[in-house]
Amino acid sequence: MADTNNILKVEKLKINFLTRKGKVYAVDDISFSLKKGETIGLVGESGCGKTTTVLGLMKMVPTPGEIISGRILIDGKDIIPLSENEMREKVRWVKISMVFQGAMNCLTPVYTIGKQMMETIQEHKEMAYSQAKKKMINYLNLVGLPEDIIRRYPHELSGGMKQRVVIATALFLEPDMVICDEPTTALDVVVQAQIINLIKRLKKKLGLSVIFITHDLATEAEVADRLLVMYAGKLVEVGKNEQVYGKGGPIHPYTEKLLKATPRLHEKVEELSFIPGTPPDLVDPPSGCRFHPRCSEVMERCKKDEPPLIKVEPEHWIACWRSYHE
Amino acid sequence: MKWIDIKAGFWDFWNEFKRVRFGLFGLILLFIFIFVVLINSYIVPFPEASSRWRDITYWEDNPVSAPPVWVNWFSSTRRAPSLILREHTFLEEKMGKIKLTRAVFEYEYPYDLPPLDVIFHGYAKGSPVIMLSMERPDGQIVELVRRPISKSDGKTIRVSIAKDTRIESYHFGAKYEKPESNRIEREMVKPTSILFSEAKEGILIHPTPLKGSYKIIAEIILSSENDVVEDVYLSLSGSVSGWLGTDNSKRDIWSGMIAGVKWALLIGLLTAFTAVSIGVIYGVMSAYLGGWKDSLMQRIFELFISVPLLPVLIVMSAIFKPNIWIMILMMSCFFWVGPVKTVRSMGLQIKEETYIEAARAFGASSSRIIFKHIIPLLIPYSFASMALYVPSAIVYEASISLLGLGDSTIVTWGQILHDALTGGAVINGLWWWVIPPGLFIALMGMTFAFIGFAMDKILHPKLRTR
Amino acid sequence: MYWKYCLRRIIYGLAIFILLIFIFSALFNTTMENTLRSQIEEEIRTETIKLDTRMTPEELTRYVAERRAFKQDLYHLGKPLWNRIVWRAINVLSLDFGKATIMRSSSGEADVWIIIAECIPRTVLLFTTAIFINIILGLWLGLKKAQRAGGLMDKTTSIGTMIVYGMPSWWLGMLVIMFFAYTIKIFPSGGLHSIPPSTGLAYYTDLLYHMTLPVLTLVFIGFWGSAFLIRNIVLSILQEDYIMAARTRGIPERKVLYGHAMRTAAPPIVTMALLSLLASVGGNIIFEGIFSWPGLGNLYWIAIEQNDIPVLMGNLFITTALYIGGLVILDLIYGFLDPRIKMGGKQQ
Repeated sequence: MADTNNILKVEKLKINFLTRKGKVYAVDDISFSLKKGETIGLVGESGCGKTTTVLGLMKMVPTPGEIISGRILIDGKDIIPLSENEMREKVRWVKISMVFQGAMNCLTPVYTIGKQMMETIQEHKEMAYSQAKKKMINYLNLVGLPEDIIRRYPHELSGGMKQRVVIATALFLEPDMVICDEPTTALDVVVQAQIINLIKRLKKKLGLSVIFITHDLATEAEVADRLLVMYAGKLVEVGKNEQVYGKGGPIHPYTEKLLKATPRLHEKVEELSFIPGTPPDLVDPPSGCRFHPRCSEVMERCKKDEPPLIKVEPEHWIACWRSYHE
Repeated sequence: MKWIDIKAGFWDFWNEFKRVRFGLFGLILLFIFIFVVLINSYIVPFPEASSRWRDITYWEDNPVSAPPVWVNWFSSTRRAPSLILREHTFLEEKMGKIKLTRAVFEYEYPYDLPPLDVIFHGYAKGSPVIMLSMERPDGQIVELVRRPISKSDGKTIRVSIAKDTRIESYHFGAKYEKPESNRIEREMVKPTSILFSEAKEGILIHPTPLKGSYKIIAEIILSSENDVVEDVYLSLSGSVSGWLGTDNSKRDIWSGMIAGVKWALLIGLLTAFTAVSIGVIYGVMSAYLGGWKDSLMQRIFELFISVPLLPVLIVMSAIFKPNIWIMILMMSCFFWVGPVKTVRSMGLQIKEETYIEAARAFGASSSRIIFKHIIPLLIPYSFASMALYVPSAIVYEASISLLGLGDSTIVTWGQILHDALTGGAVINGLWWWVIPPGLFIALMGMTFAFIGFAMDKILHPKLRTR
Repeated sequence: MYWKYCLRRIIYGLAIFILLIFIFSALFNTTMENTLRSQIEEEIRTETIKLDTRMTPEELTRYVAERRAFKQDLYHLGKPLWNRIVWRAINVLSLDFGKATIMRSSSGEADVWIIIAECIPRTVLLFTTAIFINIILGLWLGLKKAQRAGGLMDKTTSIGTMIVYGMPSWWLGMLVIMFFAYTIKIFPSGGLHSIPPSTGLAYYTDLLYHMTLPVLTLVFIGFWGSAFLIRNIVLSILQEDYIMAARTRGIPERKVLYGHAMRTAAPPIVTMALLSLLASVGGNIIFEGIFSWPGLGNLYWIAIEQNDIPVLMGNLFITTALYIGGLVILDLIYGFLDPRIKMGGKQQ
């Protein structure tokens, strides 16, 4: 049965890493879905599993990691059982593409931009050289880059320019969905704003469905419609932006802390608030709710039982015992 | 960096190192080498090999170019090995003023090829007379030599049967040969091959070994009160000798090998240590000081790196004929360039760290920052570098020695190989002379390679695969 | 941009070379002059023997003194020290190395430059062939190791690398000769070709026959190291972000490995190959000697044995020139292969 609204449905995804120190439960039982034309923001601290999740969506989890269980349905079909070849030919860049973080180093230094882009097109579509070139230039212009970029090498470009190249490359095969993995983290503030505006424009123009990863809530609020909060490999909150950011509504303690940690320009700040403690060791995570050692509202139950995602409003779930009402 | 930090650093490093199996293996080999140097005198038959390598009297009793004793295990002909016989029965007879002492040495001979020489040693005072004879298993007693000793207050005596009993042995053998075959030159006979063979026809041409117990009897006539002979022993110069045979100057190769261990270790470690120390300090200084000082240091560096090292070293050795210490100095003078590039880039990175900036803000001097903050971070890399330079230093010295340009007052494996080459070892197939020196060089190289690569592996976790 | 880089590098190399020549000339000045003086005496003696013997003893002495003064002046022996050094250095740069004391070239020439010049191609032939085979084997093995990094083959071949690390190539050469040339006589024990040399095609096969043992020895010692280095270079590149990015873009593994990875690995690998070649320029003096291969290295050995200083010096100068030349070429090739240097800096 084709799920016409959801172009992506992730069910109970588990990804483990086998290291010398033991099994790392990097992504532990994650489920979410992406509607056509929607942008969801995936936020969380460094190391909470965001990048691993999206790499899992493309079945590019680096060794020693592997997908243990779950389903990833793209257009209704589970891609996990697909072979490498099938992934390469039919899924990667065709159905789902990725804009990498730190455009610093994701372009091969010894090939020109043109060669790398052309290679990508020609691997997936049978296209005449001139046609492919036209398409390339089209998208480069779309991201605001001149045509002669094609002859340049990556090191000749600034950070912002490289990021635009990466965006153009992610889009020009017109995939159904795009993952943006912290595309603005490595850039300075002015360029950041430019890139975010670019992404917003493209979203509207091309009707993209986007998974936008960031650790900066301000960016997320600008770009996304819905918010997914991850902590220590688990989803702790899912909801629409207005629901989470709006004052007074139900909220996960972690998300609350994240919000508080972002100082507002207009308010007076006496002390910068922060979240005490450090992210947990994913080889041996805390019992019960993984956030309980750092939670300011911890209860007895939190230490023993892991809270599931509890619906607090329509389309708003929180994995916290405080939201649980019999 | 405090001492505690350094200790903790070492401990972490050691824990990592323990995990790399070949590194441990290398370390064990290194300890074996060091141990060998310490027990040098106890495991070789010629403990003074190092200082008396070119003293021919020290090696007099050895055979020339003899294979090692264990060749016997692999061949059907068993050859008599070199041996020193000290045990003897001692009888004294007095006939008036004259004393007659009799020392009898028993020698078991189960071999197919006899020893090349039997040498009588003693220490004499006055003017005794020494008479040597041999009692064979077939009962025959052959009188070998009668040697009066010239008067002295004390000197060592050495009577060689191979040299001094040609006539007697010849006559003994000739008794069993037909008169026609007596055309054999007297000078051509080898006394020991006659004396240790069956008394029958053919004894002079192709003798059959007479196996059994031999007695070698030394009768000494002491005609006056002042005549004394003491410290007598026999040394047999075998057809095979020692753990690694002998070379063409009769030197025991095993002793030479072991003597060379300490020189190899010394040359290798000293050169590596000096060179890497200079290189690391140079690189860090260049990186830290920056500006024109950095550029100048880099220019000097490029000058040194443009020199083809071995030819220059060889030409310098050929012309200035240095001793080993100068050689080590010369090598260090060029080896130091190795670590500089890497150290400099590491230094440039560390320089940008905020704690360095902080130290500067506190008023720390450049040298303090360099030596207390930056260099300790480079110590693991330095050790890995040093380990990997040791084999190069050893091979360079061996190359220089091989050409005959080395320091002839010491024994190094390179020197032994030089002698092997000029002594025709390769052409004559004297494998026991050619293989061991190079093998030891390769072994020591391997030891430090294991250690160095293991350290290198720990320092580059990027290349980890698990 | 690249041309500027090239030009700068070449001029730089030349400057260093000239500086080194001066240093060597100064360092070895005394020795070379002593040789010169004895050579002059030799020449004068030969001259006087050929002379008309009608001269009186005083005339003879005067003549000898005259000739000596003339020759000494010719070689600048009377001038101040710096003058002599500079003069000699300039000579070297114009390839005038003087005459050999004892050695002669294969055509009987005493001119040191000719003696050296005929040795150069032989050394180049031997070592270039060996390095070439070395690199090919190293690439094949190194790539295999990188693809299955940490596996059994990778680990065991790394051990092999460490075992031959400290092994002198010339010692292995000695063993190889002892075994293959004397024990089982299937290869010649050395030399460039048989005596008398064959002609036509047979000349080349004979040459190959003589090259086999030394090349095999060199390759055996060398290829473990190249495989190890290549493996490390390729492995560290494979862990870079852009490799993963390329795979994510759907580029097939074959293209990722042989295209993106290997092309990026080309500069360091070429560097490594050329550096090994350079190391052989002078470092294999003994190796050539063992195999009696009449190249530059062997020339050193003979010059030392015969105490022929002019040849020794000339050889040193040429070796240094080749070495520095090699370093310059290396930098030029590296600059060509690595677009970061070829293309220059950032565009705004």
